[in-house]
Amino acid sequence: MRPLANLFAPIPATSAYIHIPFCRRRCYYCDFAVSVVGSTKRGDTSLTISQYIDTLLTEIAATPLENDGVNDGATYPLKTVFFGGGTPSLLAVPQVETILNALQERFGIAADAEVSMEMDPATFDLSHAQGYRSVGVNRVSLGVQDFYDEVLAASGRFHRRADIMRAVDCLQQANFKNVSLDLMSGLPHQTLETWQDSLQQAIALNPTHISQYDLIVEPQTAFARYFTPGEAPLPSDDHTAQMYRMAQQTLTASGYDHYEICNYAKPGYQAQHNLTYWRSQPYYGFGMGATSYLHSQRIDRPRTQQTYHAWVDQFVAQKGKTNDPVISVQEQVLESLMVGLRLKEGITLNELYQVYGEPGLRAIEKAILPWCGDANPQSSHPPRLPDRPALVHVQTDGQDYQTVTNLRPNSRIQLTDPEGFVMSNQVIVDAFNALEAL
Amino acid sequence: MTDVPVSRLRNFSIIAHIDHGKSTLADRLLQTTGTVSDRDMKAQFLDSMDIERERGITIKLQAARMNYTAQDGETYVLNLIDTPGHVDFTYEVSRSLAACEGALLVVDASQGVEAQTLANVYLALENDLEIIPVLNKVDLPGADPERVKAEIEEIIGLDCSNAILASAKEGIGIPEILEAITLLVPPPQDTTQAPARALIFDSYYDPYRGVIVYFRVTDGVIDQRDRIRLMASGKEYDIDELGVLSPNQVPVEALHAGEVGYISASIKSVEDARVGDTITLVKEPAAEPLEGYVEAKPMVFCGLFPTDSDQYEDLREALDKLRLNDAALQYEPETSSAMGFGFRCGFLGLLHMEIVQERLEREYDLDLITTAPSVIYRVTTIKGEVIEIDNPSMLPEPQQREKIDEPYVKVDIITPEEFVGTLMELCQKRRGDFKDMKYLTPGRTTLTYEIPLAEIVTDFFDQMKSRSRGYASMEYNLIGYRTNALVKLDVMINGDKVDPLAAIVHKDKAYYVGRALTEKLKELIPRHQFKIPIQASIGSRIIASESIPALRKDVLAKCYGGDISRKKKLLKKQAKGKKRLKSIGTVDVPQEAFMAVLKLTPSS
Repeated sequence: MRPLANLFAPIPATSAYIHIPFCRRRCYYCDFAVSVVGSTKRGDTSLTISQYIDTLLTEIAATPLENDGVNDGATYPLKTVFFGGGTPSLLAVPQVETILNALQERFGIAADAEVSMEMDPATFDLSHAQGYRSVGVNRVSLGVQDFYDEVLAASGRFHRRADIMRAVDCLQQANFKNVSLDLMSGLPHQTLETWQDSLQQAIALNPTHISQYDLIVEPQTAFARYFTPGEAPLPSDDHTAQMYRMAQQTLTASGYDHYEICNYAKPGYQAQHNLTYWRSQPYYGFGMGATSYLHSQRIDRPRTQQTYHAWVDQFVAQKGKTNDPVISVQEQVLESLMVGLRLKEGITLNELYQVYGEPGLRAIEKAILPWCGDANPQSSHPPRLPDRPALVHVQTDGQDYQTVTNLRPNSRIQLTDPEGFVMSNQVIVDAFNALEAL
Repeated sequence: MTDVPVSRLRNFSIIAHIDHGKSTLADRLLQTTGTVSDRDMKAQFLDSMDIERERGITIKLQAARMNYTAQDGETYVLNLIDTPGHVDFTYEVSRSLAACEGALLVVDASQGVEAQTLANVYLALENDLEIIPVLNKVDLPGADPERVKAEIEEIIGLDCSNAILASAKEGIGIPEILEAITLLVPPPQDTTQAPARALIFDSYYDPYRGVIVYFRVTDGVIDQRDRIRLMASGKEYDIDELGVLSPNQVPVEALHAGEVGYISASIKSVEDARVGDTITLVKEPAAEPLEGYVEAKPMVFCGLFPTDSDQYEDLREALDKLRLNDAALQYEPETSSAMGFGFRCGFLGLLHMEIVQERLEREYDLDLITTAPSVIYRVTTIKGEVIEIDNPSMLPEPQQREKIDEPYVKVDIITPEEFVGTLMELCQKRRGDFKDMKYLTPGRTTLTYEIPLAEIVTDFFDQMKSRSRGYASMEYNLIGYRTNALVKLDVMINGDKVDPLAAIVHKDKAYYVGRALTEKLKELIPRHQFKIPIQASIGSRIIASESIPALRKDVLAKCYGGDISRKKKLLKKQAKGKKRLKSIGTVDVPQEAFMAVLKLTPSS
């Protein structure tokens, strides 16, 4: 094993995630850190929310600047800010402004920064939208999920199709140029037909970006109590797999690039903030349940109001230090492989090579080449069957693997679209096993 | 230390059911006699293997020598010879008992006599041992010593008027037990002048010194300078070290008739100094060996295959090492088209099999596939030859067979009356022939059945326990072979016959087993990217078929910054599961699938 220090080029943190954990009610599939405030309260009328904002501001102010070992005297203002939830669109405009001001004061925010906010239809009106836009929010991720009212109702959503239309209209009037629509497949009562129609309706609204998440029935959720995955009223696995392929076909045909397993973007509109995660770069995290990733430490904040407030008190007392474990470089390689393969661009093997050396390259070769499809002469498992599509594509120096005998540090590994993406775990677990055996 | 007259030697063992407190009592005796100081006392001193301590059962017996000054003012040497408490090791028990003149019969004062205890008491009576009844755990609220005394008197015909009431845990009755041993257990016969003979009741392999043999001198004297001969194996050795167990090894100059000790003599494998063999001296050998030597023969067989075929050599080395210490373990290389290279292994019983498997995985860090256990079938071919088959896949084709005989055992089950019905149903389902039912005492019954061994080596014991809520106990003995209408059930996965899943079953059960087995495999084998047919057949006739639908997706959808650790954990769990799969042709099969035939339905 090589020495562990200075393995990866240090990168300063220039992304910040802000968790706004409040929702009107909890959706039936949701296992996020969320506080329910009911159908009337908003940021300016809820004491819980305003107290939360105070603590959030305290946390931001107490957080040390993280240049992650880069001591070149330069400052690194934030390039992305992401308000996630929960339902950030329950906040009053001044509350969003205060948070952005606090970030600006503490870290700086670049002039061309991407400032995203998750918004739910039926939780904001035109004046809210205009207000958010005026205080600096320039990208909206709208929680559409589906265009059918019965699907929305069965999922515990607060909004209906008409609310979606109103919301998009407000955003346009408020001059948001960068709007993403979030869709979910695999929801109860969805059919292949309704899904195809929802995709078309989404495209008709001409967003710059579309996310498509296949439902995971998480334990502890209402869905886990009501339903069995793959059984009615949930669509079958066959159908949800098909829905994934339908989205890929329909959206790419309409000019959206499938740049990540679950995300599609018009050219130039990839979610810059989320790319931070998938490229394993450091990021700040603030708020209840939020995770930050700084100096190879992932710090998970507590997931309830009370415990989060207590955590911030201690964080302040310890002057912004915590005792969370540092993730070993070996684990970092596994993580960057796991998240990196979510991207169409895939990963190169430089970091893996730095940590595991030549044996690492050979191990990963043995693990992934079998997934490279029929044409691969070395493939024995799974055996070559005519209808078995390749899940993995490998390139070295711009050439396909067929002409390259061995993987090199600069080899690029990509999952194929859609077959490699939809079976990605199969490839990743083989890679994990290959590396962990070393 | 060895200057003790034969008249003041007492050799005894403890007969008890699992959980009735044998080990605790042994610990307490060691402590009370000052053999082991309180400081050095670790719970259950005699059970020195990890697996034994974890399961609370004794597998390998050991011995301990104690000095005890009795009320008559004399100092006695008490040798406790421990016995394993499991049906797989009946032969070892019989040799241990043969090394004693007396036994403590320890019975839980609330639970009463169990089948295994009864079997061992009969063994002790056959060896003319003086039996001292001890009712243990009398301090517990459920204790009913009078009922249990009546039960012992009824079942065994043993006078319990002087039974000792004890609680090993609380130290109650311990002085009484020690006194009773000196008073009631007869001293060994003084045959110090006869040519030396000693009975081996245990041996184990020490990597530095070779085999350490535990024995009881029955005649004459063995001196540390002697050269010994093992009468069954015929091998001769110079003694490196002679000693006693107190319970740690303490070297001595000589041991005479009646004493218990150990020898190390650079013996390479326990096979050369098996339990039951007789030690004599080369300079003046005994004319006859001691009676009762039998080579323990395996009754249960299974295939052991490394999950990763690169571990084949490691598995061989590990088995070689285990065999140094376990003469009853048999193995020979086995090759299967489905599984690659592995070993066919023979064991005394299911527990023995589990212990070996667990030690291979735990101590030698091997990932193993164990195939379902099989017994030895005797097949008569149409040419009149009789061949023994311990592997179902080796069974000759039907047109080559005249008949198949299978081993039968006599099973005795002791149970509270209320479970008789459900246990009879179990025995019936397992093709048992009812032989007898007796009331031991009001409310307690013994059931006797003759059952094919193959039906016992599945999950019979677990079923018996669960049907009786843990109250029933059992004991079995091989009684011979019987001809039955048996057929071979083959299993095909994705069109390939999978040898290790083949089973020999009764014709009348074949349909049921075939259907249940394919269903179970469907449940156990993970989905692949293609549809996998699973079929069961007898000869070329398919009797059951299922199919595993193709895997359509395997992807973690949403993944955000706060989710990476959790997603990684999920994938690592999936990876771990995948690592333990065995590739059979194009299909990855989990370990449990090979044992599926044992777990078809909870009530079978």
